[in-house]
Amino acid sequence: MDAIRTEQLTKKYDLGWRKGKLLALEKLNLRVREGEVYGLLGPNGSGKSTTLKLVLDLVVPTAGDAWIFDVPCSKVVSRLHVGFLPENPYFYRYLTGAETLEFYGKLCGVRGAALKKRIDELLDLVGLSRARDRRLAGYSKGMLQRIGLAQALIHDPKLLLLDEPTAGVDPIGSKDIRDLILRLKGMGKTVLLSSHLLAQVQDVCDRIGVLNRGQMILEGDVQTLISDQRRLSITVQDLPETARARVEDAVRAAGASIVSVGHPQTTLEALFLEALRKDQQGEGEHD
Amino acid sequence: MTETGTTAPFTSRERVGFSAHRVSVIAVNTLTEAVRQKVFILFLLIGLVFIASAVFFAQFTFGEQMKFIKDTSLGVISVISTLIAIVGTAQLLPSEVENRTIYTILAKPVRRFEFLLGKFCGSLLLLLLSMAAMCILFAAVLWIKEQGMIRELSQTYVGESPEAHVEARKQIEQVQTEVLDVELVKALLADLAKATLIASVTLLVSTFSTSLVFNVVVPFMVFVAGMLRGTAADMWGAHRLFMAVLAVVPDFGLFSIADEINLGRVVPWGHIGRIITYGVARTLVIVVAAHLVFSRREI
Amino acid sequence: MKLVVAILLFGIGFVLLPLENSLRAERLQMKYGGARVTFQLREAVGQNLAIALLAGMRGIVADFLWIQSHDFWEKREWLRQYRNIEIVVTLQPQSIMFWDLGQWHMAWNIGYGAFSDPKNRTKAEGVKREREWHEKAREFLVRGIGNIPNRYELYFTMGWLYFEKLSKDCDSPPCHDAFCKSAEYFGKAASFPDAPQFVPRIYARALEKCGDIHAAYEEWKHLWYLDHSTTQQAWSIIEREIRRLEDDLQIPNQQRVFPKPTP
Repeated sequence: MDAIRTEQLTKKYDLGWRKGKLLALEKLNLRVREGEVYGLLGPNGSGKSTTLKLVLDLVVPTAGDAWIFDVPCSKVVSRLHVGFLPENPYFYRYLTGAETLEFYGKLCGVRGAALKKRIDELLDLVGLSRARDRRLAGYSKGMLQRIGLAQALIHDPKLLLLDEPTAGVDPIGSKDIRDLILRLKGMGKTVLLSSHLLAQVQDVCDRIGVLNRGQMILEGDVQTLISDQRRLSITVQDLPETARARVEDAVRAAGASIVSVGHPQTTLEALFLEALRKDQQGEGEHD
Repeated sequence: MTETGTTAPFTSRERVGFSAHRVSVIAVNTLTEAVRQKVFILFLLIGLVFIASAVFFAQFTFGEQMKFIKDTSLGVISVISTLIAIVGTAQLLPSEVENRTIYTILAKPVRRFEFLLGKFCGSLLLLLLSMAAMCILFAAVLWIKEQGMIRELSQTYVGESPEAHVEARKQIEQVQTEVLDVELVKALLADLAKATLIASVTLLVSTFSTSLVFNVVVPFMVFVAGMLRGTAADMWGAHRLFMAVLAVVPDFGLFSIADEINLGRVVPWGHIGRIITYGVARTLVIVVAAHLVFSRREI
Repeated sequence: MKLVVAILLFGIGFVLLPLENSLRAERLQMKYGGARVTFQLREAVGQNLAIALLAGMRGIVADFLWIQSHDFWEKREWLRQYRNIEIVVTLQPQSIMFWDLGQWHMAWNIGYGAFSDPKNRTKAEGVKREREWHEKAREFLVRGIGNIPNRYELYFTMGWLYFEKLSKDCDSPPCHDAFCKSAEYFGKAASFPDAPQFVPRIYARALEKCGDIHAAYEEWKHLWYLDHSTTQQAWSIIEREIRRLEDDLQIPNQQRVFPKPTP
């Protein structure tokens, strides 16, 4: 079963009198398989948020249809197993973290002791147990993002829609969110995340779709899409400089050409995280 | 079992019907949010100060003092409740859209009508709470005045004849009747019906407008127009087309019975019942209209 | 959708029009509210208070003007006080208190103020001015009774005005006719079931002052023969008055309510 399926889904926004219509999404045929992490990519204004809103029945399609687990999105019951994290969420500033989750849990029909247990589990999962009784007005951006994830998970949904889940979050928070997404995938959940932070999407998504001006211009398996089949990369360690020339000769003898030779680079993110880890370890030793 | 080996999330028995529980959850959340915002506390404090200040007219007769206290208190309750009804309801939807909290709620299995009704009920709860607080202070002020008057009367008739004591008891009973006037409840009920109606008008306006200023100004103008409907009917009643157009505006003047009650007149329960029926009927239709607009609104 | 909403809103307006009209008719019948907010009234109360009037705050506006009139009284600005009193009863013509206290101010306070005004050239001028205010108070009360004909209070007040003030406003007081008028009004007040116990007693006194001693005697007897167990009255006063009148009228002993003991 597809977690999300759209057929010819189209949305035109009415810009007002004499200003015509804006084509936000054009004949989108999207299938998000159950259990996969699907990345919906595209520049600003490409139709990513519109797609999410159409699936959640927040806006009405101009044409086409959409289903969640084969239930039409126009029905309220389609959202019974969906959790949504909007872009830059603010929530209710005067509620505490625990009260926020309690509110959303009750809306989803979770009550009593089961709700209390779920709130404790989720606050632990997103690392906000210590801030549970603090009002959201005092939360940082990253904390708001995490409480947002927690509210999306409060009713243990099978499908998660995440709109820019790492936008404005620091690298540590970003990594935590990515790890969480992978964990959710391991639990059998389906995740549709929309983002324009490509490097972060690459690490978590199974498949991606790229939207531009309301149209899907590229779609497929991440690893397949990003690998260059024509090129082969072999990383060696401790190769003496003298043997390097012989290796290069062997490559040329086989009829291939050497594109580049150099030392592999780590990513800035990995470097940053490693530096922090070492610093924290160093502090631990001093203690 | 599906092709991928998982079980289908939806069973044939799963339904999402209208839930009063969800409405109440949203209503309580709305109330909590409003109470924790200081602006409504400020409105309430202003109201409480005005009610308390009605005590300071000792140079007048008891009857005059009672009238001043009742007129001022009921007037303040009416004004503050109207303000809370408009301002409290006006910011319900725009703030949800601006903060994007509406997305997180409507993304849950929550019907739009449940959301709208929940927000409206939350606003009404705030109104009830505010009116209750002001009524408690009002009752306290009346009680203080009553006790003072009874003490004064008792002291005046000390040592007088038995007939004078009978007269004193009668006057004390009269004081108590005037203070604990059940008719005041009718005035408060009429005020509550009026405030609920103006809150529903504000709700309707906020379903299609995103501007907080617009959402406050338009209902206020409707309120003023409604207060002037009686005058318009007197002056231009013969112009049927004009009156037909004006019929869309509720006649808020019909809810003004506090003055009559403070004059010691008895307003029949039948009249009150009809006023409340009028208010409730208008409110229900306006809420339905708000739902129709909101159900099609693109968030 | 806009059309549907418009139909709904106009529709409920039409459907509820009969109820609205009947509520307005009831208000008119029960005399709720006061004078319409005309241009003249707006000029009289001032712009700010006129806005409060239009917002339905008649009571508060009337109270404000009443408190202001009290202030004028303390400053001896009689005409301003009088003007405010007139506006107040225009705003709330159903208020017994405003009519009652309004006439009291005119007849007792403003009247005396006019009488004792050092600007009076002669004593006669002072008396004339005072009597003018008594007459103003009487006319004022006539209007009050016209607005509230079904309560005892203003009839009693009018009786008292005649009894205490207008009974002195003639060439050779006490003015017999004024007492008779006071008796007429006290009698009307006494006919209301909720009139206090002293009202019929004052009615009897006024009848006596009017010269109709027999009627006064009958009234005292009528009071005496009420059920003592259920009626609250000053029985000792009634007995005293009956005995006095029986002596004055030389009622035969066997016909008396309180026969004298035979020697």
